[in-house]
Amino acid sequence: MLKMTDVKKVFRTDLVETHALRDFNLHVGEGDFVAVTGPSGSGKTTFLNIAGLLETFNGGTYELDGQNVSNLNDKKRSQLRNEKIGFIFQSFNLIPDLNLFDNVDVPLRYRGFNSAERKKRIENSLEMVGLAQRMKHLPSQLSGGQQQRVAIARALAGEPRFLLADEPTGNLDTQMANSVLDLLKSINAAGTTIIMVTHDGHLAKQARRNIYVRDGKVSEINEVDIAMPTQLAAV
Amino acid sequence: MSNTHTSTSINWEIGPIFRAMLRNKVGAILIALQIAVTMTIIVNSVYIIVERSKEMQRDSGIDNENSFYLTSVGFTENFNTPVTVEEDLNALRALPGIVDAIQINAVPNSDSGWSMGLKTQPGVEHDGVGTAVYMVDEHGLNALDVEIIAGENFAQTDIGMRVVGQVKWPDKTILTKAMAENLFPDIPYGSVVGKTVYINDTEPMIVVGIIDKLQAPWVGWNNLENVMLSPERMDYKGSRYFIRTEPGQRDSVMKQVEELLANSNKGRLIQNMRSIEETRERSYRGHTAMIKILTTVMIILTIVTALGIVGLASFSVNQRKKQIGTRRALGASQSAIVRYFMLENFLISSIGVILGAALTIGLNIILVNTFGLDRIDWFYIPIGMLVLWIVGQGAVFGPARKAANIPPALATRTV
Amino acid sequence: MFGYYIKLAIKSVKRNPILSLLMITAIALGIGASMTTITVNYLMSADPIPHKSHQLFHIQVDSWDPNNAFNDDDEALPNQLTWTDATNFTLAKKALRQSAMGRSGGIIEPPGDDAKPFEASIRLAYTDFFGMFDVPFIFGNPWDSRSDTNREQVIILSKRTNESVFGGENSVGKTIVVAGRSFQVVGVIDDWQPIPKFYDVNNGAFNETEELFMPFTLKEELELPNWGNNNCWKSPDGEGYKAFLQSECINTQMWVELPNATAKAEYMDYLNNYVMEQKELGRFPRPLKNRLSNVMQWMERQEVVEEDAKMMMWLSFMFLLVCLLNTIGLLLAKFTGKSAEIGLRLALGASKSDLFKQHLVETAMIGLLGGFAGLGFAVLGLLGIKSLYGDFVDDLATLDISMILVALSIALVSSIAAGLYPTWRACNIAPASQLKSQ
Repeated sequence: MLKMTDVKKVFRTDLVETHALRDFNLHVGEGDFVAVTGPSGSGKTTFLNIAGLLETFNGGTYELDGQNVSNLNDKKRSQLRNEKIGFIFQSFNLIPDLNLFDNVDVPLRYRGFNSAERKKRIENSLEMVGLAQRMKHLPSQLSGGQQQRVAIARALAGEPRFLLADEPTGNLDTQMANSVLDLLKSINAAGTTIIMVTHDGHLAKQARRNIYVRDGKVSEINEVDIAMPTQLAAV
Repeated sequence: MSNTHTSTSINWEIGPIFRAMLRNKVGAILIALQIAVTMTIIVNSVYIIVERSKEMQRDSGIDNENSFYLTSVGFTENFNTPVTVEEDLNALRALPGIVDAIQINAVPNSDSGWSMGLKTQPGVEHDGVGTAVYMVDEHGLNALDVEIIAGENFAQTDIGMRVVGQVKWPDKTILTKAMAENLFPDIPYGSVVGKTVYINDTEPMIVVGIIDKLQAPWVGWNNLENVMLSPERMDYKGSRYFIRTEPGQRDSVMKQVEELLANSNKGRLIQNMRSIEETRERSYRGHTAMIKILTTVMIILTIVTALGIVGLASFSVNQRKKQIGTRRALGASQSAIVRYFMLENFLISSIGVILGAALTIGLNIILVNTFGLDRIDWFYIPIGMLVLWIVGQGAVFGPARKAANIPPALATRTV
Repeated sequence: MFGYYIKLAIKSVKRNPILSLLMITAIALGIGASMTTITVNYLMSADPIPHKSHQLFHIQVDSWDPNNAFNDDDEALPNQLTWTDATNFTLAKKALRQSAMGRSGGIIEPPGDDAKPFEASIRLAYTDFFGMFDVPFIFGNPWDSRSDTNREQVIILSKRTNESVFGGENSVGKTIVVAGRSFQVVGVIDDWQPIPKFYDVNNGAFNETEELFMPFTLKEELELPNWGNNNCWKSPDGEGYKAFLQSECINTQMWVELPNATAKAEYMDYLNNYVMEQKELGRFPRPLKNRLSNVMQWMERQEVVEEDAKMMMWLSFMFLLVCLLNTIGLLLAKFTGKSAEIGLRLALGASKSDLFKQHLVETAMIGLLGGFAGLGFAVLGLLGIKSLYGDFVDDLATLDISMILVALSIALVSSIAAGLYPTWRACNIAPASQLKSQ
């Protein structure tokens, strides 16, 4: 599903060279739920950016869904992001001037769906996160937890193979965080592969596998075995 | 999970862009208004420029490039004008490089001259047609470079001598085609030859010839081509000579003529020697100035508006960096980002140019009513709209490119 | 506090140098264009003789064609007088001062064998011309009124003519040859260029003052050529110069000085009586209609301000509008970008009015900078106008102190007006919303 072999990432400035990732190796299988933890500056975010095709890398190979994505142009990478990957960000990144409907619509537009298809998908995904009634609202009219649910709806509307979550509960209180996590678990249970970056060890334990990153390398892999919820939870 | 609905068609985001714009109404309205007023000024300016240029390009009838004139003013008590004029013209006509030379009372396009009214029936109760008068001898047609298209030229024996305060007119005249048609609108100009017209209400003159085209002195006059020729020389203290040279020899001839005349008679002053080109330049100076000023205004205005759009777009790109990064992360290609900003500008410009079209017509109506301008031709409006659309798109392209270069990884950065 | 606001404003202007420059340039261009056209219009419509423009009246009487009014407008009166009427009005002496006047010209032959003759324009007038219009003299005085009556060959020179003929020395008492005749110099006037040249606008409202002045009565005596505009509705009865002068052709201007409303009413009565008497003699075939216009009314009637100048002024105001819209947009963007800072200041205890003042100071500073730069553009614009229109606009394209003040106030007022909305928007944000999301 996702296979990184000896991936390197170097940031250069005039004065210093920083090795954000050095010989990063990871294999994530179909339907997996991986939590990536590590101290600040360890390379978590760089890994996520490369995994999500947001950044290029300097060496090694990266296969996504069986396809080598090491040397793709921007257009191709954009298309892959759009079709195969769904993003969830720490600060939600909803577009403040667009209502919920239009926010979820953004990736679908780039996908080139016709308007009936888009409408169906937007309504379905907002339904799934329990916000279908508030379609015409602006993000600023929602709580943080609700905003993150919209972001999840936006990530899911395109039916991606992967969900990449960057500190998805970082800006939320515990109760909201738990409900968002439950939502992610149920999505995973429905078959979507999830990779979640977090600094919160407790949260990481909820995933099937834990990966600990230090100095730009995978230093530890733990299998976690917990019961998955079978039903979607709503806040 | 399947991707069966994927298609490659470009998905225009008009709906969402428009709805997002409505949340920043004021900014969009300001640009739209700016575009509208700019279009109003530019389109009306272009229209004025075109109208003025057309006026300046009207054919004067004379040989603009190779003609000049001068005045000879006698100042001594015993100065004999008729003799001097006869001697001067003989000398001038014999000079190599000169096609012909005449004494004339006024010069076409020079802004000062003599006008009279002609009537087709005698009597104060009938309306007359205004016309400029040029007093010339039988060399007049050749010197003025006009062609007789019906009838005949004056004969040498027709030429009279006009004295100061003279009221009486000669009994022959030559009219321009335009004047003939204004006087006798119902018959072909050729049949005007032989007709009698009346000057000073009752004094008859017979039309002996029709010339093709000759303009009056006053370039701003509505009946610029209403001209009559009167077969006369003038016994005034000051005489004006009109001289036509061989092509390309005007400037050298002008020097020779000045010397020749100044030396031939010390009792007079040769002055105001001026080419027709320079005269026309002076008469149309207001037009030339207006054209240059309006052109400058248009250029500066376009730059100001374009820079305003660039400034606002750059600012909005900076403000929306995170949003653009997110869009990129969600799968927007660089061209999709460029397209977003171009489309946004297109929508704003569209409102601007539609409003601009209305304002342009409004300003034109004001100019028509206040300053007597002509009604604007319809096609100026769509061309103006198109130009401002292009200006808007051109101005926003830079900032849009900048936006497209915002890295998608910005989406995961916590500011 | 004001000093602090100024410091903040300077910082803010420096923080976005390109944006600030864009706003200042936009205001400057708008102000520059408007000031250029306002100056030209202001000078064209200026009162050329402010201290007595209400007491000087131009006379019009309807001596025109029984079948047609003077022009397309049925109410129009002839814009000049016949030589006969103007002479009669002057000799009647019914006003405090009065003068018929006309334009002529002739060749001056300076003394000395190598001096070249040159042509000069002549203003023909009665001696009252000089007192009525307060013409300043360097040497000598106006001629005596007897010179008018006796048709004496006396002459007054312009400063420049005196310089070129007599080298600028006191030439009173000397003789000068004009149009082949000798004249005695009685005075030299100082630089005198009314703008507009109100006393004879139909021969060029912005032309230069004549180079020579001599008694109007010499026009008939010496058969001086008529240089000005001449207009006839019927041809003279008879041949020759005398018949031309005595014809119904109009070629003479006439001004009177009437110090108060009573004098004006009495003069109007006199005019009406005169016309009624003339009607008995078979003249003045049109209905009785006479008019006295003071200087500014006359300028208005004669449409002294060029239409192109008016048109350009309106276009330049629209230009300024575009520049201000531009500035409003840019200020709005700029102040919106500062919302975090504004939120912080609100949180730290600044009142809304503090912030409002702070941003108005910033706006005013941009406006003033734009105004100063605009003055520079106006100077360039006026130079451009001079080079495009030639000498005759020299006096119409000069900035004076009052125009500079007008420019700066327009810049200040318009930029503050432009800044009001952006400032109001920026200051009306909730402090919390801005702090939280950052």
